[in-house]
Amino acid sequence: MIMKHATRARAVALIVGIAVLAFLVGVNPGGAGAQAPVTLNVYISGDTNIFDLWQKMLLPAFQKRYPQYKANMVPLLHGEGSQGVFDKILAAKQSGRQTDVDLWETQPSFVTQGIPDALWVKLGPNLIPNLSHVLQQKLDATQSYSMPYRGSSVVIAYNSAFVKTPPKTFDDLVAWIKANPGKFTYCDPNTGGSGQAFMVAAVYKYASNAQFIGSSYDPKAESSWDAAWQLLKSLEPAMYNGGAHPNGNVAVLQLLAQQNIYIAPVWSDMGTDYLSRGLLPKTVKLEQLSPPLFGGDSTVTAPASSAHLEGTFLLLNWLLTPDAQTLVVNGVSGYPGVDWQYMPASVRSKFADVAKPYAPLPNSQYFADMLRLWHERVAGGG
Amino acid sequence: MSGSQWFQAVRVLRKTIGLGALLALAAFILGPLLSLLMWAVAGTWLFPALIPEFSLKWWFYVLGQEDVVKSIRMSVESAPVATALSALICIPAAYAFARLEFPGRRVVLLSFLSANAFPKIGLYVSIATLFYRLNLMDTFAGVVMIQLINTLLFMIWIPTGTFRGINRNLEEAARDAGAGPLRTFFQITLPIALPGLIVAALFAFIAAFDEAQGSLIVGTPNHITMPVLMYGLVLGYPQPVGAVFSVLLALPSLVLLLLMQRYLRAGYLAAGYNL
Amino acid sequence: MRAGWKQGALGLALVLPPLCVLLFLVVIPAITAVVTTLTARAAGTSLFSNYAEVLGTRGLRADITYTVVVTLVAVSVTFLLSYPLALYLRFTRSRAVGFLGVLFMVPLFVPVVITSYAMINFLVNHGFVSTILYRLGIQTFPRLMYNATGIVLTQVWASIPFAVLILGSGLQAIDDALIDSARDVGAGALRTFFAVILPLNMTSTMITLTLLFIGIFGSFTIPFLVGGNAPQMLGVTMTAYLTQYLRRTESVTMAVIAFLIAAIVGAVYIASVSRRERGTR
Repeated sequence: MIMKHATRARAVALIVGIAVLAFLVGVNPGGAGAQAPVTLNVYISGDTNIFDLWQKMLLPAFQKRYPQYKANMVPLLHGEGSQGVFDKILAAKQSGRQTDVDLWETQPSFVTQGIPDALWVKLGPNLIPNLSHVLQQKLDATQSYSMPYRGSSVVIAYNSAFVKTPPKTFDDLVAWIKANPGKFTYCDPNTGGSGQAFMVAAVYKYASNAQFIGSSYDPKAESSWDAAWQLLKSLEPAMYNGGAHPNGNVAVLQLLAQQNIYIAPVWSDMGTDYLSRGLLPKTVKLEQLSPPLFGGDSTVTAPASSAHLEGTFLLLNWLLTPDAQTLVVNGVSGYPGVDWQYMPASVRSKFADVAKPYAPLPNSQYFADMLRLWHERVAGGG
Repeated sequence: MSGSQWFQAVRVLRKTIGLGALLALAAFILGPLLSLLMWAVAGTWLFPALIPEFSLKWWFYVLGQEDVVKSIRMSVESAPVATALSALICIPAAYAFARLEFPGRRVVLLSFLSANAFPKIGLYVSIATLFYRLNLMDTFAGVVMIQLINTLLFMIWIPTGTFRGINRNLEEAARDAGAGPLRTFFQITLPIALPGLIVAALFAFIAAFDEAQGSLIVGTPNHITMPVLMYGLVLGYPQPVGAVFSVLLALPSLVLLLLMQRYLRAGYLAAGYNL
Repeated sequence: MRAGWKQGALGLALVLPPLCVLLFLVVIPAITAVVTTLTARAAGTSLFSNYAEVLGTRGLRADITYTVVVTLVAVSVTFLLSYPLALYLRFTRSRAVGFLGVLFMVPLFVPVVITSYAMINFLVNHGFVSTILYRLGIQTFPRLMYNATGIVLTQVWASIPFAVLILGSGLQAIDDALIDSARDVGAGALRTFFAVILPLNMTSTMITLTLLFIGIFGSFTIPFLVGGNAPQMLGVTMTAYLTQYLRRTESVTMAVIAFLIAAIVGAVYIASVSRRERGTR
């Protein structure tokens, strides 16, 4: 069927017109050229409650305190796109350009990766006065190339309607899982810290964690993990759906909400948040095991090629003030980055029972190997 | 109507199977979308409730996020430009593949197919360094170029097949009647090929629109497209948020569907698609 | 054959713009990646040691096999569903055709992330379908999500429009008269299909199968959101190796292997199309 001349012409004109219009509109984006306030680009890796913390609480407070700065947050969910950001910063350093990344909250592994190429600024009290309020051992974890500003730990969430006596220790939990197949799972460790915590708890059961949290790395030491892989593998048939580990922290919370499972490891702050919003049934309760599951500090790092380092240092320093740290603690039911003694007394007393210890994280190289071996030995064929 | 007569030879059997199959197919295609729609108006929806609690609160939540509005604008602006650019450079090339003999023709044609089969993860570091040198990072043009890469396959192969399917006799007859090559192209070849080209443009647009991994590197922080944002919303936020955003995203696509509807009917895709 | 050098020059000129884009943005970075896999290795190891290491890891071999198998299944199911649909749309005059014509196009306009998300909510246990069945008294529900079944179902859902369109446009070219003449010699519906329709529509069929294979084989989003934990499709594994396990070289090596497999499929297509083309000249 040959189209009529007029219709064809109209169609072509329409398409061209839209394209031109779109291009013109695109060439004039509003506002990106503002002169006076300097814009800091803050890249945050994490989950959505953290994005809300920055977007709705921290950044507006920072901008109010320092009106000469504007802040723009770029979210990286579960760290997706982190490799791209790292490559971007590396490429900028190698071609001698400045990067648009002014601050980056990311996994310690990327910080460690970037140290040989001098990608980050080494932080110290000369640049950031409030850094002296942070425990030195927390800074040592990444040789002072990144700074903790909040902490969280993984806890156990259980649905009290179906779990009358919740497990109190890791071994209790293992026994419960075997006795109640299909009612527990943890997220794929590649995709969420809550799943990682369970995996690491198995490893720490058989091998003292001291070996793995320092900065040394010896692949041969990983043979001590074999017992852990065996334990986890033996639990697979008792997992939800005979071995399904969903993608991400939130997916597990959803399984819990849908009553597909009755117990799961969850981040303390996410669990609290979901309960308060009615996204989990009211019968779900949170508790910490003994020995506890891991927790960690979230750290932020300053790329050396940033164009706005003075602004970044100002932001980093402000993050450690009691005001900002109180926002963190209240905003995400989290732990502060500074030592508790520097927090206001009212906050300290309010969160006295939340401030429980947690197990430490293994260093990034061991961690990367744990993730890979979990996939090979536990989820895979062995 | 002899084609139909053949099919109607097994009429009764066909009708029963046909109806059942039709219903099953409709359920399969529309079902997931229906459940998504219900989630979009759900306040909370906990098992085993059959219907959620109705609430529009998540709409206010989603539309209140400024990133959402910014990203919608970015996608709606960049994908059509990438598609138009792709059409501009690829359609003449497709005609060349279909009609002209030149050295290395088969190798070049094969390279388009093969190159697109290379997983993009392996490419992005090199592309990023290149873009830095060319000052294309965090620019509208940079995002368009990334999307352009994904459209090349569709914009070369489908038009090539379309042009190849057009009977040469028609063009030769026009030539014999005295029309020059350009006139022949625009008045004879192009109108017949148009439905096929529009289908190619459609697939190319979808590919450009859906692009996420490269756009993340090149487009941040000021040029974030919907897929980059959407990915995060769907995975990390409560179910109603992903559902609301899905409905929002479906709107431009739906509009496109309605506008393009007449081109997509099977009848229009005929016209000498003779391979 | 009136191929003069003038035609050759014109042909090259027209092809140059997209070729340049391809060269600078895909070919050169791809070659850089391949070179990396051959050079980024410990001193004294063989040239292909990275490939030996990847292919020697049981989990990765499982992933490669898994990807090929899942892709083949998804392509087959899509093909088996789309061909009858395309035939129906081509050869039937009925009211249903208009409705069907719009219906099968719908998945095309849904971005892949949304597709995955919608399917999960639809098919997960205690999701939409399972809740309905539960209320009807059916308490057990098969496992349809977070495994290969989920990947196949979602890929099929997303691929139907593309397949039906391409197959349909090929069918459009088949003259009713040919069908008629087959009927005249007494051929039944099935026989007509295999003897007349299938051969005449072979090129569209080959395009559909090839592009479906390549697309599904290298996909990331659907298997990532909807798939299981092990084995995984190569797109997911590669990303994990790069971003989670911090093994950049292995990741790029896998990328090259995936590329080779996809290229073989592409070569099959080229060979078949070339043969046809040579025949019709």
